[in-house]
Amino acid sequence: MRVYYITFRSVTPAQRGEQVLQRAGVRCSLQRTPRWMEERGCGYCLRVRPDDIGACVQILRHSQIAFRKVYVQAEGEGVEEVKL
Amino acid sequence: MIYLDNGATSLRKPPQVRYAVADAMTRCANPGRGGYGAAMAAAQTVYRCREAAAQLFDCDAEQVAFTSNCTHSLNIAIRTLVRPGAKVVVSGFEHNAVTRPLHALDAHLLVAGRKLFDWADTLESFEAALKTGVQAAIFTHVSNVFGYILPVERMAAMCRERGIPFIIDAAQSAGTLRVSLRSLGADFIAMPGHKGLLGPQGTGVLLCGRQPEPLLMGGTGSDSLNQKMPDFLPDRVEAGTVNVPGIAGLHAGLRYLNSVGTDRIHRNECIQARQCAEGLKKLGMRVFSGAHQAGTVSFIPGGDCEEAASVLARQGIAVRAGIHCAPLAHESAGTLETGTVRFSFGFDASPEQARRLLRAASKLPPFES
Repeated sequence: MRVYYITFRSVTPAQRGEQVLQRAGVRCSLQRTPRWMEERGCGYCLRVRPDDIGACVQILRHSQIAFRKVYVQAEGEGVEEVKL
Repeated sequence: MIYLDNGATSLRKPPQVRYAVADAMTRCANPGRGGYGAAMAAAQTVYRCREAAAQLFDCDAEQVAFTSNCTHSLNIAIRTLVRPGAKVVVSGFEHNAVTRPLHALDAHLLVAGRKLFDWADTLESFEAALKTGVQAAIFTHVSNVFGYILPVERMAAMCRERGIPFIIDAAQSAGTLRVSLRSLGADFIAMPGHKGLLGPQGTGVLLCGRQPEPLLMGGTGSDSLNQKMPDFLPDRVEAGTVNVPGIAGLHAGLRYLNSVGTDRIHRNECIQARQCAEGLKKLGMRVFSGAHQAGTVSFIPGGDCEEAASVLARQGIAVRAGIHCAPLAHESAGTLETGTVRFSFGFDASPEQARRLLRAASKLPPFES
């Protein structure tokens, strides 16, 4: 199973993103960004399901909530950045 | 005790404020620093308050920065906009929280509008000052001494038209009068959390219409490999651990305001203040009252103001006498030598409070011109 991560520069925009997505009916969970995923030190990310990632990115952009990057992790495989 | 010193701090708070503080103290760790439950609970507590403030003051959540008080907020704003030696226009009713940071920067101050309760004078003087090549404007929304409500919407429009950056000190208006960062277009709006917003002491808010310069540097839980402060809000001006219990209490205060309505609170405060002003005049006091006045009134009895406040205190009435950290305002009103006795109503303003104040004030000697 694949999981997508949307990374943010700090907790506040991540929380705002979480709220906007939840209000739009999209399930996501807020968590710390794994260290290797965040080249600038510390951050928070939203974990979302593959079916929702396209909508999530669109909603965040529409709401002008800045996020850093999107990563995908497949079970038993590595993680890679994806451009959406 | 009849507490009428809400201009200094709102001693009486809705009970849910202290419950929220206690709850946060037992439940919240450090926000934005960890992913475990207690850290996330803290982050959620802070974010909810940020969001409630953003809703009340018409801005985005990231534009709400938490500080320790209004003075802290003003210092950040002033240090961002005012270069050493700059020419700055201020109203004639500013608090030392504005004038002292400007003095420290050796700013050249133009004081615009000295007449109390006179919008025409305020606007005319302010406009004239803006034409003299000032680098920034700083003005209070409501005088902390006299309750004079300045025409900030029009002053803000004048600054916007000329491209002059400006700061509004909303210390006495936040929680009672409408304050919209979006419609005012201010660079910064500073306010305490512990006055009209009914939060605990040690809380303040800075609404940021532009990128501020940090006053403190340190950890933010973000961008940790960078030795410079983050270039994004609110982290840029929130170095170190924020006052989570205080912010939880502030959020409870904001929720209370939202449920009751700030207009209703303002109207009630004004009614009681007017009653007292009229009553004090009948007792022979010199009372500073007029149009465009909030729930704060100053008066001068016969004899010394501090002595008068002591007489009132002995009868269970808490007011503040003296200069109120605002010598500029007293200079404008011609009361620098005597000071005044100030009473300021809060969200719990009642006719009984007004009656008790007047009964106690009847024991003061009348003003001798």
